[in-house]
Amino acid sequence: MTLADLKTGESGKIVKIQLSGALKRRLMDMGVVAGTDVIVEKVAPLGDPIEVRIKSYALSLRLGEARQIEVEEIKKS
Amino acid sequence: MNKQNTPFVNQEHNTVKNNLTIAVAGNPNSGKSTLINAIAGSRLQVGNWPGVTVEKKSASFDFQGRKITLVDLPGTYSMSPYTQEEVIARDYLVREKPDVIINVVDATNLERNLYFSLQLLELGIPLVMALNMHDEAAGKGFRIDEEKMASILGCAVIPTVATKGEGIGRLMETAVAFADASEAHRPVVISYGDDIEKAALTIEKSLKDHPDILAGHLPLRWMALKMIEGDARAIENYKTAQYAAVAENATHHLRSAHGEDLEALMADTRYGLAAGLTREALQKPETRKRELTEQIDAVVLNRYAGIPIFLLAMWLMFKLTFDIAGPFTAWLDGVIGGPLSRWAEIFLTAISAPEWITSLVMEGIIAGVGAVLVFLPPIFAMMFFITLLEASGYMARAAFVMDRMMHAIGLHGKSFIPLLLGFGCNVPAVYATRTLENQRDKALTALLIPLMSCGARLPVYVIFTGVFFAAYAGTVLWSLYILGIVLAVLMGLLFKKTLFRGEAPVFIMELPPYRMPTAKNLMIHTWEKGKHYLIKAGTWILAISVFVWFGLNMPWGVESKKDSYLGKTGQIIAPVFAPLGFGTWEAASSLLTGVVAKEIVVSTMSEVYVPEAGEEQQEEAPSFGENVKEIGVSFAGAFVEAGKNVFSTFGIATMSAEEEEGTTGLKTAIAKVFTPLSAYAFMAFVLLYLPCFIVLVAMRDEFGTWKWAGVTIIYQCVLAWVVAFVIYQGGSLIGL
Ligand SMILES: Nc1nc2c(ncn2[C@@H]2O[C@H](COP(=O)(O)OP(=O)(O)OP(=O)(O)O)[C@@H](O)[C@H]2O)c(=O)[nH]1
Ligand SMILES: [Mg+2]
Repeated sequence: MTLADLKTGESGKIVKIQLSGALKRRLMDMGVVAGTDVIVEKVAPLGDPIEVRIKSYALSLRLGEARQIEVEEIKKS
Repeated sequence: MNKQNTPFVNQEHNTVKNNLTIAVAGNPNSGKSTLINAIAGSRLQVGNWPGVTVEKKSASFDFQGRKITLVDLPGTYSMSPYTQEEVIARDYLVREKPDVIINVVDATNLERNLYFSLQLLELGIPLVMALNMHDEAAGKGFRIDEEKMASILGCAVIPTVATKGEGIGRLMETAVAFADASEAHRPVVISYGDDIEKAALTIEKSLKDHPDILAGHLPLRWMALKMIEGDARAIENYKTAQYAAVAENATHHLRSAHGEDLEALMADTRYGLAAGLTREALQKPETRKRELTEQIDAVVLNRYAGIPIFLLAMWLMFKLTFDIAGPFTAWLDGVIGGPLSRWAEIFLTAISAPEWITSLVMEGIIAGVGAVLVFLPPIFAMMFFITLLEASGYMARAAFVMDRMMHAIGLHGKSFIPLLLGFGCNVPAVYATRTLENQRDKALTALLIPLMSCGARLPVYVIFTGVFFAAYAGTVLWSLYILGIVLAVLMGLLFKKTLFRGEAPVFIMELPPYRMPTAKNLMIHTWEKGKHYLIKAGTWILAISVFVWFGLNMPWGVESKKDSYLGKTGQIIAPVFAPLGFGTWEAASSLLTGVVAKEIVVSTMSEVYVPEAGEEQQEEAPSFGENVKEIGVSFAGAFVEAGKNVFSTFGIATMSAEEEEGTTGLKTAIAKVFTPLSAYAFMAFVLLYLPCFIVLVAMRDEFGTWKWAGVTIIYQCVLAWVVAFVIYQGGSLIGL
């Protein structure tokens, strides 16, 4: 599943970024690296972009990019 | 000075330099500019969103009898830059060799900030870490072991609160001590693991004899790591076959062990280290409490309320701007037109100035510059609200909320920030496009910025709405702002289909926490923004006013202004404006001089329409005391009025309701030559035709070519003419 599939309040662990080049590099530099936890905080009023919390800060990105980020859902216990 | 934090002090090597250069680097929005302002007493721009500083700026000050220059760099997430301002920071750090780097780290966000610190350490320059936002970290219950961090990283770590100036004394002492000991500085090499280190060492060996490295231009280890990462921009010069082969060989083992994506490997390794370090040094409370920012965002970014709140915020900003400023504008108008003019006249008579000087001062300078100065209140009010948006953190939210809409016109949320800044002044807005990732987004955004009605256009609207639409001035004023926005959307769509057919940009942005701006900061940054308008009044507008006066009075002894040089020029171009409803030489020459800056349209008009000699009624001159009293009383009145406006009206108060002295002459004159319809067409034309030439120069500056400035000139002139034509002719057809 991808980051775009997580609903508000759900969290996951990043598995892989399917992007390449400068964009992938930028996401990695901002902390989107394999093994990191993310939680989807919010969806913008118009449905896109989304806000996620990662490495204790808030990052916003579009669903288009979120779809390229593979995650593993973390089920709440 | 704290000994344990200065491991590199070595008295034998202590050659004291008189001038020190200290680079201040770190992640965006970590407080670099705030810190420099606190240390050096400078007024660098500060705001609570990533990407405020887009240029390298410096501030110097004396410290223990030595000159220290602090270099404020744009914030950057990595030494592999993604946006243009990050390139500036990277290039400076790599090429300019500052004596010391102060790395500003946001203590509430250690891991991501340390990821960049690790890359700074690769440069081998002495580094002092300012563990900033210590107040916020403490508020979250974070406990950070600075000494452990310092010993692991081999640098000094000093907690700071830049907004309050806490810790800056110790920070500077340590930084200076590090600089003095820099000869003895042995950079601590933080190991990235055997495989990477081995590859790095191999490359270092073969890079050693490279001329650039020899000349000491580039740090060796940094270069080696960049070659492993394959960072194209950093290694451009080393792509010779020889070095490519070296890198290829050196990384052979790495690639077979870790896969082909060495860039990801490096990022993972650095983040691994940063995470490890964070675990070692940071103690977080067991449970994370819901923070204020999240509570505010739950409302502000709510699915249903988000957009209405955004619109409300925009509406409030404009409403308050006009409500608060209106009475003060009227007051200034009264002062300049009344007491000030009278005093000037008395003074000129007293020194028995020749008649032409009197005319130049009264009808040229005071009328021209005064017409513009009157609008200082709304301009400062606008700058104040923009500063408030920036400082609170709402700016980034506006980008988040608007992204979807901006996407439709081929832009993204981040473009929204420059556009919003454009309502204050288009010039900084053009520079703010630098935070956008690529040339396409930047150019498209810059082309649309002039459609955002800046403060300088306000004088024109206010005078005309005051005369023709006094009863519903607010609505008319609004409609002009909206017209600009609607046209920006349409032009965006058009440009997206023509000049900018490329792919739509990507939106990735950090949302900072909300922060309470301090009154002092608001004042300083409002002033810094607004003062340019004041300076402009004292320079350009003064010069043009004088120029216009000569244009109107030459050749000497000309009987009617119509036959003056300016009048004749106006007559030549006037026919172009005839179909728009204002084909008079007066309007034409005002628009012509208004190319320099839009408020000059008004200042020229007030010279052009100055009553011909003899028309002026003589009144009893009030005494000096009465004059001063008048100024004071009307100022107090303005205060009361402003207060009433804010609470009483829901529309925009008319800014020029009462008939005061001053621009009254101008108003009666335009009431005779314009109709409401042609006045509206004229205002639309002023909104749209050319940005002022300073904006054009800014565009040339930003893009290194006149191309986009040229496109702007052409499309705006055409657009202005067409829109004014449609308004005037359309209106005439339906009988307005
Ligand atoms: N609470 C708190 N806020 C701070 C501190 N330092 C800076 N800020 C606030 O953080 C925000 C960002 O400050 P800036 O100085 O503009 O940050 P910058 O690092 O220069 O940012 P860029 O130029 O965008 O890279 C502002 O709202 C500051 O008021 C601090 O120590 N504590
Ligand atoms: Mg800054």
